[in-house]
Amino acid sequence: MSRERFQGLLPFGLILLALAGFVLHRAGVWAPVEGVLARVTTPLLQGTSQVMGRFGELTRTARDLRDLRQRNRDLESENARLLLENVRYRELEGEAALLRDLLSFSHANPSFDVQGAHVVGRVIGRDPSNLQRYITLDVGREEGIARNTPVVTDRGLVGRISDVGDGWSRVLLIIDQSSLVNALTQSTRASGLIQGQADGSLTLHNVLQNDTLSVGDTVFTSGLGGNFPRQILIGQITEVERKDYDLYQVAAVQATVDFDHLEVVLVITDFAAIQDADQSDENQ
Amino acid sequence: MTTYLVVPLLVVVVILQAAVVPHLTVWGVFADLPVLFVVSWGLLRGPKEGTLWGFIAGIVVDLISGAPFGAATLSLMVVGFLSGLGKNSIFAGHFVFPVVTMFLSTILYNVCFLLIVWVSGQPVAWLDSSVSIVLPSAVLNAILAPIVFLPMRWVCMRFGQEEMEW
Repeated sequence: MSRERFQGLLPFGLILLALAGFVLHRAGVWAPVEGVLARVTTPLLQGTSQVMGRFGELTRTARDLRDLRQRNRDLESENARLLLENVRYRELEGEAALLRDLLSFSHANPSFDVQGAHVVGRVIGRDPSNLQRYITLDVGREEGIARNTPVVTDRGLVGRISDVGDGWSRVLLIIDQSSLVNALTQSTRASGLIQGQADGSLTLHNVLQNDTLSVGDTVFTSGLGGNFPRQILIGQITEVERKDYDLYQVAAVQATVDFDHLEVVLVITDFAAIQDADQSDENQ
Repeated sequence: MTTYLVVPLLVVVVILQAAVVPHLTVWGVFADLPVLFVVSWGLLRGPKEGTLWGFIAGIVVDLISGAPFGAATLSLMVVGFLSGLGKNSIFAGHFVFPVVTMFLSTILYNVCFLLIVWVSGQPVAWLDSSVSIVLPSAVLNAILAPIVFLPMRWVCMRFGQEEMEW
């Protein structure tokens, strides 16, 4: 048989073979042959399937990786945005709490004309020297602030304005060595002078020996001298030093104001100074 | 380095001193950047430039501080001048020299400062101030001295060869 004749009859032969297979399969004779073929093809199929599966996974992974990268970028930017928002909200929350406390102070003391809205009275700097205890505020003459104006927070007395300019003012803190405040104890009404110490603590001086000082007693401004209104909280007595041979008693006072973390303060721009009141009484 | 560069540099130093440094307290005190910079420059460039740096930094400190005007200027000029004398010392090359000079200069600066405050009529608790502020401050500045001195020495060698213009 020539080659051309064989190639011409091949399709028919294959069709016949297929038909024979069909018939043999239907007759149930083809099963052993199928089994042998399956034993050979199954591992090949499995291998191929696995390879294709892995290749598919690989392409899917590459596609997923691209999507994930994009998603990660989106999430990162979203996260950064939320983080900033969160920080801003926390800041606003803290500020709201501060202002709420300050508001409660101004409500509790309606006689004071208080200058200290949420944008003013903010501490913008501290004294550059270790030896001086001042803070700088972002409010000044335009807001009605003048020298010696008292400065407070909801927790008590901070100090008084020592210098003032346009848009700024400097506060001499009561913990400075040069600061003197006339004070009164709450329960025993002992009067004295609150003075700042080098280490930033407070001492109550010039308390007469006859007066009683007790640990835990609170100390307020007495209003004497005219620089501070009456009954502004200063601190609490932590230690009393009484020597028989001394003319006066001395007490250590823990300030109620946290001077290391001052952020917003109130500046009392109008109060009835005792000296002025006395003078006006005399005039009347 | 010309005064055109020194002025903004020292303004930035003092602003940092007023706005940032007081929040970083150690042993109840904070670093004194103007002293660190003035003394370091004085050691590197001599009394003339030390005094000029002390003057510029002191003016800026006095503008911000609540202390009597001139307290920081005079005190910084004194330490700038005296530390500048150390430039030609036989110990000048030793690594301990800036540390010891910074310790002594900080004490001198604070004593001068307190003296001026006292002369101006404000009460000064000398003993308490010395124990709770001056000594811890001097120790802290001495520890920080190499951190400021070494970069400034590099700056001095790189850019500061010419005389300052007065």
